[in-house]
Amino acid sequence: MLDLLKKRILFFGGKGGVGKTTCASALALAAAKKGKRVLLVSTDPAHSTSDIFERLFSREEAEVYPGIVGVEVDADFEARRYIETVKNQIAKLFSSSVLKEAERQIELVSTMPGVEEVALFDRMGELIVTCVDSYDLIIFDTAPTGHTMRLLRMPELMSSWIEALSKRRKNLITLNRNIEREESGEADPILTTLERRKEKLELVRARLMQHNFTGFVLVLVPERLPIEETVRAAGLLRDSNVNVCGIIVNRVLPENLNGAFYEARRKQEQTYCEEIRRRFAEYPSIWIRQFETDIYGIKNLDRLSEVLAGPNDGAPFG
Amino acid sequence: MDWGHVRRNIADFFHGMALAGYEKKLREQLMDLNDLFMLLCFMELVGLPNPATIYLLEVYPYFLEEFHLWHRRMGMDHSPLGTLPCC
Repeated sequence: MLDLLKKRILFFGGKGGVGKTTCASALALAAAKKGKRVLLVSTDPAHSTSDIFERLFSREEAEVYPGIVGVEVDADFEARRYIETVKNQIAKLFSSSVLKEAERQIELVSTMPGVEEVALFDRMGELIVTCVDSYDLIIFDTAPTGHTMRLLRMPELMSSWIEALSKRRKNLITLNRNIEREESGEADPILTTLERRKEKLELVRARLMQHNFTGFVLVLVPERLPIEETVRAAGLLRDSNVNVCGIIVNRVLPENLNGAFYEARRKQEQTYCEEIRRRFAEYPSIWIRQFETDIYGIKNLDRLSEVLAGPNDGAPFG
Repeated sequence: MDWGHVRRNIADFFHGMALAGYEKKLREQLMDLNDLFMLLCFMELVGLPNPATIYLLEVYPYFLEEFHLWHRRMGMDHSPLGTLPCC
């Protein structure tokens, strides 16, 4: 737990419905209570963070609780914003006839699949780069596993893609220069744009891969499907060289209840807990018992944050 | 007599001697490189997924001129892509 709070950027991931948002919010609260300035970023299209804090998260950063600033990243909105930025940028550079043609192309691209994902990543990268100095901790509450994995691998994919493009462009320019024998003083605008983009991506990537700076917390519940998915996620993250800094085992059944149903569930759960301990032996773990109520609102969240920050760290039970 | 001028003439002369035989080939190669680069940038339009499409938006306007040269070279008087009106 304390190790988690030493990081500067934390991602919360896991299968849908295991309590990522709840745990991320509780950790934000725990950090805020220790006097840290926390930025809580919700990237999940379900946007449950607003429901937990009973306060609407907006697209711009706004304080949702003393010490916690919340921001909701809306992929659709970010895509439109990005496209507007591009339009403004080129408006300064080109004549109106070129602009008219270019804008049609841009409008077309903006409806293509995948654009929102890139825009979402762009915004996350921007938050990572610009907010790191103004906050002690940035917590990303991410969408379910598959989506997040794609996001984290994006900088790698993108920068190699752009690298390939700029390499081709460079070949072209060199050849052209040899034929024409003209040393044109100005740099090629296409190459400059590509390289600038690549630098930005590399910066985000470097931050994500910096193990003492950024960590990924995987949340799961002791059940078959979440265990399998989390094992896969941990493997993928390791392959992408992202540091998994801990797992949270959520909603472990409470002790000392009676009844045949409870006994049966508990027996099954014990084998799962055993399995989690074995398969995730290398990661520090936090175990949380199921509450008698569901968690929403600051009061309930406070209880959970106390458990998270409490002394039961890393002491698995079950 | 301007020495710079003379030097440039001599340089051009040797450059021409060395290059003349290859110039056509080199220009062809340059065009091929250009086409490849263009294909990589406009892959979406021929139905191949291109992860960097959105980042390429920033460079599209610079392409309009090259795109025009390309479709003329390919023997098409008018832009073959309705989405990329050129002429």
